[in-house]
Amino acid sequence: MPLLALDTSADICVSLVADPRPGPWLASTLGTLASRRVVEQRRHAELLAPMIEEVLGEAEVDRRDLTAVVVGTGPAPFTGLRAGLVTARTLALALGVPVHGVCSLEAVAAQALTDLDAAAEVLVVTDARRRELYAARYRRRDPATPRGELPEVVALDGPLVDSAVALQERGAAQGATVVGAGAALHPEHLAGDPEVVVDPAVLAVLALRRAERGESMPTEPLYLRRPDVTPSAGRKRVSG
Amino acid sequence: MPDASLVLGIETSCDETGVALARIHDDRTELLVDAVASSVDEHARFGGIIPEIASRAHLEAMVPTIQRALGEADVDLGQVGAVAVTAGPGLVGPLTVGAAAAKALAVGLGVPLHGVNHVIGHAAVDEMVHGLFPERVMALVVSGGHSSLLLVDDVATDVTELGHTLDDAAGEAFDKVGRLLGLPYPGGPHIDRLAREGDPGAIRFPRGLTAAKDQARHADDFSFSGLKTAVARWVEARQDAGQEIPLHDVAASFAAAVADVLTAKTIAACRRHEVDTLVIGGGFSANSQLRELATRRCAEAGITVRIPPIRYCTDNGAMIAALGAAVVRRGLPASPLDLAVDSSMPLTQVTV
Repeated sequence: MPLLALDTSADICVSLVADPRPGPWLASTLGTLASRRVVEQRRHAELLAPMIEEVLGEAEVDRRDLTAVVVGTGPAPFTGLRAGLVTARTLALALGVPVHGVCSLEAVAAQALTDLDAAAEVLVVTDARRRELYAARYRRRDPATPRGELPEVVALDGPLVDSAVALQERGAAQGATVVGAGAALHPEHLAGDPEVVVDPAVLAVLALRRAERGESMPTEPLYLRRPDVTPSAGRKRVSG
Repeated sequence: MPDASLVLGIETSCDETGVALARIHDDRTELLVDAVASSVDEHARFGGIIPEIASRAHLEAMVPTIQRALGEADVDLGQVGAVAVTAGPGLVGPLTVGAAAAKALAVGLGVPLHGVNHVIGHAAVDEMVHGLFPERVMALVVSGGHSSLLLVDDVATDVTELGHTLDDAAGEAFDKVGRLLGLPYPGGPHIDRLAREGDPGAIRFPRGLTAAKDQARHADDFSFSGLKTAVARWVEARQDAGQEIPLHDVAASFAAAVADVLTAKTIAACRRHEVDTLVIGGGFSANSQLRELATRRCAEAGITVRIPPIRYCTDNGAMIAALGAAVVRRGLPASPLDLAVDSSMPLTQVTV
């Protein structure tokens, strides 16, 4: 039986993942049955539903056989993030299955840490627009997790939103490997591997494990910014 | 099993998360439940709707509001036969939340999706109150965002926009005048309340686009910006002279000017197009001066006027379920799953 995992924190991506997954927790056997990714900063709400239908069709999976919906909770620009979260929540409601939320940056971190040393730390950075980055620093939760196995991660800093300069000045990346699409944006301040992006299958594996441990996985959005609002100014006169 | 006659409607074009269920019968559309969650209180201190605050509230309210609607109607989600959603016009962020939710429901339930026009929904909701529309009706839709005159030959397939406001919407003008009179946001209900105790003939405020020279190009259009400015000038002149502002009379005279223009132009349009049924909808149709004047003048003109109760005039899921039901009733094709919301969706476009 498969579960559906999706993320709209940057690209729009959807995967059908075997549940339970085959074999051990190896990154190479995440059990992806079908997946779609569109590199697009807008139109999340337009493209997501058709992409879900496509992966179901490609894997010849009946929607009623889905066991859960997993969604990346950001941090991310607001409108796209909400499209993913409301899609996941209402789809799960329609299917009568649980919905699990996982921080999108954790998926990137787990993927990057899989092939790094036991004590390695990663700083995940993604595009927060407005010349800022979303950032969070992680290490393996259990240093004994063997290399090549997708580790559970623990956050040491963040997630937060700040400029690359500010992150550099406070030494956010000191001693850490920088990964994530944000690494390509301000290489003079934060350089790293921008090719590591959210894989919905990683979200799915993290969620399945956490579900086994009985952890609750709310789908609250990580906006990290307040809405832009200016309290209304006093009224202006119309007559001179 | 899905029941083709059961339509779920979702509305999120502004600050109300609305979810309703409608049942299609041969001779009527029945409203089973209408659940609304509003974020209006979160916007009050800003003096207007903040789209991002509204969008966040829609996300949090969506699933609970769907569940509340289903619970109150004692309907299982699996029985829903079609999902209708506001595709526009409205605020993009809020519209996007509703559209994504509706698509997910349609995919999850394996039922058709129908993206529909919010403004036409304001007229369509009356089909659940006063029965299915006759062959041809005039619709006046007045709210904080719209003031439009629509000739409705078929509510699901054939709507002509005769006119609209060239500047402020009627409800918007009320909110702005409310602000200049120092009333809390939204000002509409406060002005309405004050106006009931004032003299509508105390001050002669201008009636926009009613002059003979405007009849050629703007017979069916409205303008409330000049009226709002006239009220501001009048109030400022009084303030400058150190005189007290007769709030009740200002409110009554202003409200009378708005109701006079709306009803006079609408009835003239009914005559010109030989339509004998008028439907008034939208949040501003809660205005008591408009309701009273429309009722009186329509009676004099031999026009049947249909104004739904106030709870169906404001934004809600019922209007979308009603229009969705009209679309399903006619067997129209479903909207594509990649439908895009349209913040300025034309009023001649009923479905996506």
